[in-house]
Amino acid sequence: MSETEDGFGFAPDHDAPIPYRQRISDYYQTLGYGAPYRWAHYAEVPFAPLKKPLAESRIGLVTTAAPYQPDKGDQGPGAAYNAAAKFYTVYSGDTATDHDLRISHIGYDRIHTAAEDSNSWFPLPALRRLAAAGLIGELAARFHGAPTNRSHRVTLDQDCPELLSRLREDKVDAAILVAV
Amino acid sequence: MSLAARHLEANGIPTVIMGCAKDIVEHAGVPRFLFSDFPLGNPAGRPHDPASQMLTLELALRVLESAPAPRTTVENPLRWSDNPDWKLDFSNIARLSPEEIARRRAEFDRQKEIAKKVREKPQAAE
Repeated sequence: MSETEDGFGFAPDHDAPIPYRQRISDYYQTLGYGAPYRWAHYAEVPFAPLKKPLAESRIGLVTTAAPYQPDKGDQGPGAAYNAAAKFYTVYSGDTATDHDLRISHIGYDRIHTAAEDSNSWFPLPALRRLAAAGLIGELAARFHGAPTNRSHRVTLDQDCPELLSRLREDKVDAAILVAV
Repeated sequence: MSLAARHLEANGIPTVIMGCAKDIVEHAGVPRFLFSDFPLGNPAGRPHDPASQMLTLELALRVLESAPAPRTTVENPLRWSDNPDWKLDFSNIARLSPEEIARRRAEFDRQKEIAKKVREKPQAAE
């Protein structure tokens, strides 16, 4: 007979990070899409140390959010998954101005969140404030949008080199990648 | 995004990923990761909560600055809700009725048609 947990303060077992790979595999398997998705997986991980303190560094920002396209259907808060709102090549925007970026093209959690506040996925205004406060040296002149819809092959052969090229042009010392 | 972080890092640009899908990002293998245990869609803090957004961004910057080695994951201490039951819902086939599964199969077919010019895969954030 197992001992009682009274007084241990244990959290419920399901109060842990969601096992997305298992969930999504089971989901699509049941929907009839037989071939299991192969998520990117590497044993070796590269590591580039920061060369200067943050307060002297130029920081780049990369997002998977998409510019709002009025002709591409509902992209508003709570919109259903909208494949038409996807983008297929890296894009860039001026970090000095505000941007209307949406996430209706991404499989976010539509049960428990509704994409109402872009600051919860695109921290450009917050980064500007941190730059003004001196916590980072400066914000790069551009941010960059990374497509989410392609095959691993396209991501590796086209999108990754393009992002690297643009961030090098921007002369960033480091980059924040915000993954929706 | 994990692949981009790896590519940048291999070419000398330090990165930190902000994200909510811990197993997917860690499975890929990334240098630095600020994990927020929030519903997918909120990698930069809770909606309508500027304090949580600023705390989350500042944490990401600290991870960028102080990670001692690759595969450094730091978990945002903020909680989405006092009730963890939201974690049971996302893509949880065991919670769907046969009718709902049929409806979603039809919707998935429709979206695939829209996006058929590219190779479409199950949507997995990050």
